[in-house]
Amino acid sequence: MLEYSEPVAKLIDEFKRLPGIGHKNAQRLAFYILRRPEAEVERFVEALQEVKQKIVFCSICNNLTDVNPCVYCTSPTRDRSIICIVEEPYNLVAVEKTRSYKGLYHILHGCLSPIRGIGPDELMLANLLPRLMPNNNEGVEVKEIIVATNPTTEGEATANYIARLLKPLGVRVTRIAMGMPVGSDLEFVDEVTMDKALSNRHEI
Amino acid sequence: MLLESLEVHNFRNLQGVISCGQHLNIIFGENGQGKTNWLEAIYTLATTKSFKTARLQDAINFDEELAWIRGTVQQSAEIRRTIQVTLQNNSKTLSINGKKEAVNRYLGQLYTVVFNADELEIIRGTPEHRRKFLDAGIVGIYPPFVQTLADYNRVIKQKNALLQSAQENEFSLEKTAEMLEIWNEQLVALAARIHKARIRYVERLQGVLEKKLFQREEISIRYVSSLEGKGDLSDYAALLTERLKLRVQAELASGYALLGTHRDDLEIQFDGRDLRAFGSSGQQRSALLLLQIANLSVYFSQHNEYPLFLLDDIDAELDYKRIGQLLEFLSDKTQTFVTTSKESFVEKFGTNANLIAVEKGMPKTHEN
Repeated sequence: MLEYSEPVAKLIDEFKRLPGIGHKNAQRLAFYILRRPEAEVERFVEALQEVKQKIVFCSICNNLTDVNPCVYCTSPTRDRSIICIVEEPYNLVAVEKTRSYKGLYHILHGCLSPIRGIGPDELMLANLLPRLMPNNNEGVEVKEIIVATNPTTEGEATANYIARLLKPLGVRVTRIAMGMPVGSDLEFVDEVTMDKALSNRHEI
Repeated sequence: MLLESLEVHNFRNLQGVISCGQHLNIIFGENGQGKTNWLEAIYTLATTKSFKTARLQDAINFDEELAWIRGTVQQSAEIRRTIQVTLQNNSKTLSINGKKEAVNRYLGQLYTVVFNADELEIIRGTPEHRRKFLDAGIVGIYPPFVQTLADYNRVIKQKNALLQSAQENEFSLEKTAEMLEIWNEQLVALAARIHKARIRYVERLQGVLEKKLFQREEISIRYVSSLEGKGDLSDYAALLTERLKLRVQAELASGYALLGTHRDDLEIQFDGRDLRAFGSSGQQRSALLLLQIANLSVYFSQHNEYPLFLLDDIDAELDYKRIGQLLEFLSDKTQTFVTTSKESFVEKFGTNANLIAVEKGMPKTHEN
């Protein structure tokens, strides 16, 4: 016997599939939906469908986009000689928020993790190498690749893999620095970050 | 640091408040009354973990939902803090002066070193116990080392997963070697840091080891790298890199990471003989005690104060002669908590000590 009538149980089950949603939260969401007016629910359904129908991977950088190639890859004002590699689309957003980076991106959609069965073939890397050829890059030569994967062991391994892949091609490969978050007090920085910041210090 | 008082509610069978003496505290009572539980409570207050169970919630008294341990700790002449560990169903909350704190801020308020029968595994058990003993000591004087250890373990796990999938998918040796290199680079960097930290820590322990505390026997320790005899250990990173290259086939065949600091050991000798194989039970206990005292001293040299020393069932582990020598040595140093069920122990060592009688988990404090 189901706890709830079938349509409700089904909805709860679907919510439970979402990351970070447990049984209680799924119940809460399902009952919230039940209480909303029909029009609002339809809007929600449409939004879900639209995102699946309209959003595709950018064929150049793998970003999620509704126009292919994406706005970054087609922008006339961006510096085509630099590519910043990130793990996830939301990492791109984080870099973009700086407003100081004007280069292009490449999104891997993951990082190397043998535990989770993710090897180089599972990363979206295959379309990176062709981008280095000026013919495929509006005639611009790529001079630098910035590897901005996460500072975790998996992110480091991924960075390492990419460096090994690209260095023989003569392109400059750099890794983002690790250390102090700006605007915070020294006192509130954890020891590991402080340690990294100290060993990566620079002359002023 | 000084634990001034300890209040416990529903942690195992404990209930009530004890006030603690600055030096020796003797917790005594019949067997099964909860003496060790009081030590465990102090340990839990300090580390937020138990030395008995992996699941701390199991320590909530039967049929109860909420348990807490609260201690008043004198950090310096002017600073006193109330620290508390609260257990409820599946949650554990930590607080300092009534305000909730994250675990990394909480740890370090109170630091303890334990001597009990389980700790004898350091002497008798597998090398893993000895590596953990060293690592815990290093973390005590250099907290960021926790992250180095966590990263290293993560890399080893990833590497093992990689080796196992290479076996299953019948990767060629070349392909395996190529894939391993990505992880080995981090492995070497982290292992070199761990190797260096452990070597240094063993040197520091060696430097303060009270070799003659129990007269006749002489104890010596040495860090034994699993790469010993394979080349020049003074450039550990280079040696490990070279060995990793040579051993790809063996690692692939076994499906496990075979090289690194997770294969190292601490050699402990008593009068020049391997303690694990040749030591008597009494010698092993003495050696453990000397190691823990060295731990205290290294901690002192770094922080200029001693951790709390918790000795469980001390008279089951050591004879009175050694206990006398030990307590004499500790008397002007650590705040010490010992448990005993023997009246004769209290009579012999109870003068000048803070006596805490325990019955059915409840304390009755006596001042002598």
